[in-house]
Amino acid sequence: MRPPAVSLHIGTPPEGSPRTSSEFEEIQYPATDRSSWASTPRPEEELPLHYMTEDTARRRTPRGPSSINGSIGHLNLSEKEYEAYDDGGKDVYSKMKDMKSPLGSGKIRRPPPPPPTSVGEFFQQNLEHIPPIIYTLLSCWTRFYKIGHSNLVVWDEAHFGKFGSFYLKRQFYFDVHPPLGKMLVGLAGLLSGYDGHFDFASGAVYNDTVPYVAMRVMMATFGVAMVPLGWYTAVELGMSWRACHLVALMVLCDVAWLCISRFILLDSMLLFFTFTTVFCLTKFHNQQYQSFSFDWWLWLSLTGVSIGCVTSIKWVGLFVTALVGLYTIEDLWEKFGDTRMSLRDQARHWGARIACLIILPTILYMSFFKVHFMILNHSGPDDAKMSSLFQANLVGNTLYQNPLEVAFGSKVTLKNMGWAGGLLHSHVQTYPVGSNQQQVTCYHYKDENNDWIILPRWDEPEYDADGPIRFLSDGDVVRFSHVPTKRNLHSHPVTAPVSKLNWEVSGYGDGKIGDLHDYWVVEVVDDLQRGSKSHVDKIHSLTTRLRFKHQALGCYLRAGNEILPQWGFKQIEVSCDKENNANDIHTYWNVETHINERLPAGDHKLYSTSFLRDFWHLNVAMMTTNNALVPDPDKEDILASKPFDWPWLRLGLRMCGWGASQAKYYLLGTPTIWWGGTLSLYVAALAFAVYLLRMQRKYVDMDAREWDHFLYVGKVAMLGWLLHFVPFLIMGRVTYIHHYLPTLYFSVLMAAHMLDHFVFTSRRLTERTKWIVFGVTTFAVVGVFWWFKGAAFGIDGPISNHWGLKWLSTWNIYEE
Amino acid sequence: MSVSGRTSPNPLRQRRTPASRSSGYSEIDQDEDQVEFTNPRNRSTVERFLETERASMAMLALLTFFAFALRFYKINHPDQVVFDEVHFGKFASYYIKRQYYFDVHPPLAKMLFGLAGWFVGYDGHFLFDNIGDSYTENHVPYVGMRALPAFLSSMTVPIVYSIMKECGYSTIVAAFSACIVLFDSAHIAQGRLILLDAILIFFMSLTLYSYIRFRKLRYLEFSPEWWGWLLATGTFMACTWASKVNGILTVIAIGIPVMVDLWDILDIKKGHSMEYFTKHFLARAVGLIVLPLFLYLMVFYVHLSILTNTGPGDTFMSPAFQETLRGNEMLLNSQELRYYDTVSIRHKDTRVYLHSHPELYPLKYEDGRISSQGQQVTGYGHEDSNNHWQIIPTKALPDTGRGRIVRHDDVIQLLHVNTQTYLLTHDVASPLMPTNEEFTTWPKDDYSRHNDTLFALRLVDGQEGEAWKSKSGHFRLIHLATKVAMWTHTKQLPEWAFSQQEINGIKTTNDKSTIWFVDTIVDEETGEDALQRTNIAPKEPKKRSFFKKFAELQLLMLQHNAGLTASHPYASNPINWPFLISGISFWTDGDNQKQIYLIGNIVGWWACVIALSTYAGIIGADLIARRRGIEPISDQVRNRLWNSTGFFLVVWAVHYFPFYLMSRQLFIHHYLPSHLASALVAGSVLSFVLSETINYPISARGPSMIHPKPRTYADLGLKGPIVVGVFALAMFLMFLFLAPLTYGTPGLDGDQVNSRRLLSSWTLHFAAKPTGEF
Repeated sequence: MRPPAVSLHIGTPPEGSPRTSSEFEEIQYPATDRSSWASTPRPEEELPLHYMTEDTARRRTPRGPSSINGSIGHLNLSEKEYEAYDDGGKDVYSKMKDMKSPLGSGKIRRPPPPPPTSVGEFFQQNLEHIPPIIYTLLSCWTRFYKIGHSNLVVWDEAHFGKFGSFYLKRQFYFDVHPPLGKMLVGLAGLLSGYDGHFDFASGAVYNDTVPYVAMRVMMATFGVAMVPLGWYTAVELGMSWRACHLVALMVLCDVAWLCISRFILLDSMLLFFTFTTVFCLTKFHNQQYQSFSFDWWLWLSLTGVSIGCVTSIKWVGLFVTALVGLYTIEDLWEKFGDTRMSLRDQARHWGARIACLIILPTILYMSFFKVHFMILNHSGPDDAKMSSLFQANLVGNTLYQNPLEVAFGSKVTLKNMGWAGGLLHSHVQTYPVGSNQQQVTCYHYKDENNDWIILPRWDEPEYDADGPIRFLSDGDVVRFSHVPTKRNLHSHPVTAPVSKLNWEVSGYGDGKIGDLHDYWVVEVVDDLQRGSKSHVDKIHSLTTRLRFKHQALGCYLRAGNEILPQWGFKQIEVSCDKENNANDIHTYWNVETHINERLPAGDHKLYSTSFLRDFWHLNVAMMTTNNALVPDPDKEDILASKPFDWPWLRLGLRMCGWGASQAKYYLLGTPTIWWGGTLSLYVAALAFAVYLLRMQRKYVDMDAREWDHFLYVGKVAMLGWLLHFVPFLIMGRVTYIHHYLPTLYFSVLMAAHMLDHFVFTSRRLTERTKWIVFGVTTFAVVGVFWWFKGAAFGIDGPISNHWGLKWLSTWNIYEE
Repeated sequence: MSVSGRTSPNPLRQRRTPASRSSGYSEIDQDEDQVEFTNPRNRSTVERFLETERASMAMLALLTFFAFALRFYKINHPDQVVFDEVHFGKFASYYIKRQYYFDVHPPLAKMLFGLAGWFVGYDGHFLFDNIGDSYTENHVPYVGMRALPAFLSSMTVPIVYSIMKECGYSTIVAAFSACIVLFDSAHIAQGRLILLDAILIFFMSLTLYSYIRFRKLRYLEFSPEWWGWLLATGTFMACTWASKVNGILTVIAIGIPVMVDLWDILDIKKGHSMEYFTKHFLARAVGLIVLPLFLYLMVFYVHLSILTNTGPGDTFMSPAFQETLRGNEMLLNSQELRYYDTVSIRHKDTRVYLHSHPELYPLKYEDGRISSQGQQVTGYGHEDSNNHWQIIPTKALPDTGRGRIVRHDDVIQLLHVNTQTYLLTHDVASPLMPTNEEFTTWPKDDYSRHNDTLFALRLVDGQEGEAWKSKSGHFRLIHLATKVAMWTHTKQLPEWAFSQQEINGIKTTNDKSTIWFVDTIVDEETGEDALQRTNIAPKEPKKRSFFKKFAELQLLMLQHNAGLTASHPYASNPINWPFLISGISFWTDGDNQKQIYLIGNIVGWWACVIALSTYAGIIGADLIARRRGIEPISDQVRNRLWNSTGFFLVVWAVHYFPFYLMSRQLFIHHYLPSHLASALVAGSVLSFVLSETINYPISARGPSMIHPKPRTYADLGLKGPIVVGVFALAMFLMFLFLAPLTYGTPGLDGDQVNSRRLLSSWTLHFAAKPTGEF
């Protein structure tokens, strides 16, 4: 094989004829030719190429698959300095700076080839793209094969198909995930001609109106793209060609990735954008030697775009964002220590990062919400999650017809104005603690248990439906009667169940029985339309911000975001706050629904709501709902799993019914890939520790470039893995095995990196050994994939007919 | 930031060339700019006076005197049980009565309380049941028991002073750190009651002191003093750990600098051989791992040797453990079961009996599912003849002898005596859980369902051929045909089953909640009194190896510690602690409006927070400046900031941040060890802010150092005593102001309570109602 057509000769090539690898080991490190390298003038060091045959290649120089022919990476100019003086270990900073120069890692640079003059040459130059094309075709086959085999709503298609439908129907809905992924599902539906009128009941059969195959194919396309992305990421990371093949093969052959990509779910998109983020980051890393060039800007901003997209699909995307963040911080810290760099360049570096990695993704994230709100402009099932004004602006919502001014005798619902606040609610269930009276909570769904009637005090004449209308104004003392149960909103000096420092709020008495503890003073804060309190004469529904002070105790009705336990159905606790904190938005309420037949209907249509306010409100609501998804200790959930079940694939997950007549899908990784990946993480940590210890004793295992490369790829993989794994340990919400799927990517990269480091680029091992290792790993990955492929393609017939699938006793693949 | 705000004798210097760099990070060579204070005579008079041996001793004596005075003041008040004295007083009683109890904390501190109680003649009769129970009425010598933590808490103050002195800080700076602990309301309130924290903090500060002494001898390696302080560090470390679970954090806090130290010794630039390193490594392994582990085990050994009688902790332990306790019910009543014995069977977790009665399951449940309409099998909480089951064999038995004993893995049937039906389960959904199998019974004479009445008896950790025993023979009942385990849960069945507990078959047979045991042997086939078999002779407690007992206890402690998640009105989040956002109400006396409220001295705590953030600022500014090639701080001072103050910061951080990861209930007193460390940080930051001079070197000179190092001396001048004096006065006044809450006396009226509520988040009792509108 010949080297690339053009190569520059710079400096003196090392003397001596080509050596065999066994001879090489005899060379003492540092080699004598080092000084000649170090003496080459600096500017020329920038130019990398130096031709030599493969056998003269220095120790373990990593080669990308594109450089099979044996071009050699340049040696880091810093090595000389590193060796030159013994600073007694004090000068750690300048040492760090030199050693971590980003040029020392990643893909080896080559000058761009000259324009091809013939088809043959063009073909020659693009040979490196042949394998990814083949892998992509293979991945099209795996992803699309029998994709419509099951005509049932499988697993979470029930959710995400439904959410997609809402976009087609343009009805507002609420979900804990940001909108991009579901908008794409909606788009897929639109493109395939789906009209949005299927309710996606779990396990139901798709009828003719649902082009589910086309929708699945579009989702699976994201899955197809994972394979070439995996390949090119490995190339950009500077792995050897064998390692690149392994990465692509593992991405291609993992049953879990395959399985999750074949349905109408968000995961294929989440994975796709996680992959693109890592890819863009590595691509950007390789542009670092030419800051502010077009390519540099391109890949930096594409990284930002990827971040924006991945976080707009699921918040899990924040983990890969954190990886980019850590990389950027380290990078900037390096640049900060470069005293030769001008102040202007420093500022430009900082500015570029802030613009591309913070501002750009934020704008993207927000604009997806903007589009979300623009599409969903009709009233839907989850209106109550949003503020009253937002609801009034939805087509089909009748809130804007509320009578404007609130009066005694009005039937109202009260909306808490805190971010993600709900409606004041009560139901017949009682508190199991405290007073044991009827529960009062905050609730996000509209039903008649949210209705309250404003009534006068006990010592005043009873409300007369025919008497003169008495409007409510600031300072009035009222009681609230719960419509379905007739209980009065009540508070007393009993500790609230969750916020122990506040008093409990309960439902007490009825239309006849009551006491002074039912009195609430209405205090006006201000009005969103009319401005400050001085402009407010009568209380308007929707826009007037109110606080309710308990007359006897002096405390304020408050609904923070504390969640009641199971006995309170995980609804939000309502308590009476002893602190008069006038700025606490959780004590602010407004009248939402207002029904009073004696008053004329109003028209709030003109009242607009601000996007930023709605955006923030929705995000807080997503956050609180997400936090409320805690595992229920009373209920045994066989689908949920714990983070420590994942790395060693202790559990699988049944994605659908297990009847003999239906195709069965089992979410289970390819065991060799999962186990190998996890094992490689341990190996990497151990190898790192051993290398550090040996360095402390001045054993030289690698030259600076190799060490840089080892660290760079190791950091991307290890930090990426940790950032995607550790947060699940801390968060209290219920977790499932598919939460590990983005994490798996980093263990796959680590597996390839470790094989690369210890086998494929090793000098001690012969080509033959490398081939054998490569062959065995490939076989282990592909063979095991083939064995388990049914889990993703659908297992037909009784499960007991399929032999040998249960490799671990914990997998529930067979039992009924 | 203070870097730029102080007057520096050294203007900013540029980086020197690498070649002229001094070598060795811990051995700072001569610094040509630093000449001013190389002679002790050049210092200001105040400093010279304070640094004399006598002045230092006088300061120490003064601090110690104050510490004792403040902690022993009115130690007899209140003469009632306060807060967690409920637990720790009770445990002391158990030691005196030698009854077995179970607690999540290791036993050393509690044994010391037991010892103190025994010493002052307490007989252990009082059980400390409720907060507010009177000591005087119950004749408990509580003052003697409280004196122990008060003494140790007082001794902590001079130790803090000595730590700072040993680290080379000026007398006045050392006094500053000591004052933060001395006048701290939280340390005092916590230290004069029967609580573990004072003991923990005392041992923790001793550990730090010993480690610093050890570290200062690093040039005299392997000398007797060196070994002495190394072993002392290990010993006190073990004591800290054995006093309270969080003591493990102290072990980590020492472990980190030891690792750094070893890493430096390993550095080839130091020129040490591997043998040398191995020697150092082994010495530390012995002193800081082997010795503490041994001592920790010893403490448990003593603990288990004292507590040999049955007590309230029995039920936590395994049957094998319980049989080692004298007078334990399991030991007395456990006996081998034979076929045709009639027994009552109980569920281990929910304590209900396996029960059946003639009523049938309703044909249709509320949710529309169908039952088998068989006889109900339920869990019932009370003794009843419907709880009686007879063990029926499925194999041929010899007429007499040990062949009739039921053994592990035997297949049995259970006959319900009153209705003469066999226990059965089958593939029908249970009333409450569609995923689990229904339990019912089947007439004795009808053989059509014989296979469904067979159950395998699996003893927990059973050996082949092991005999089944009542009480101690915990077992699972596995259905032979469908492989489910008999299980019950606390949910009640509806009215048709008299709200008794549901019993069903669960697929996860290995779950801990599927364990049952035989409670009593009601009757046996021969008709002879079953009790006859019991009372043959009083049984001696069985022997069990210490390590087995220790392992079991340790595991249980960890599990229960993590399980303390119930909410408590005074539990707080770690983020609140350094800022003193909320305290704990320990005790109240409504008649006299007295209360003890655990809250720190706000002056001291906030000074510590300011010091910590200042330190972070200094270090951050230094890092950034050096990154740009500027060296704002001289090497020696920088060295002190990194190594000495850095060590204090590590201690602080290690005792603080792990709490963020714990889901158990947390209280502000968990911060007290960290607060002590932050007082040390505050002292060294104060020293840095006031003057850039330091006392150097402080380590003992070793034989390997040929050239004596040039000495420098710290000089804070007059401003040191003034600043510290003003601060100490402020601390003392604030302490006096909060004293009624700390000592619980005198009582305060509503307005006085309100005035003491310095932060609105403090939840004091007896506050006056706000008058009128706000």
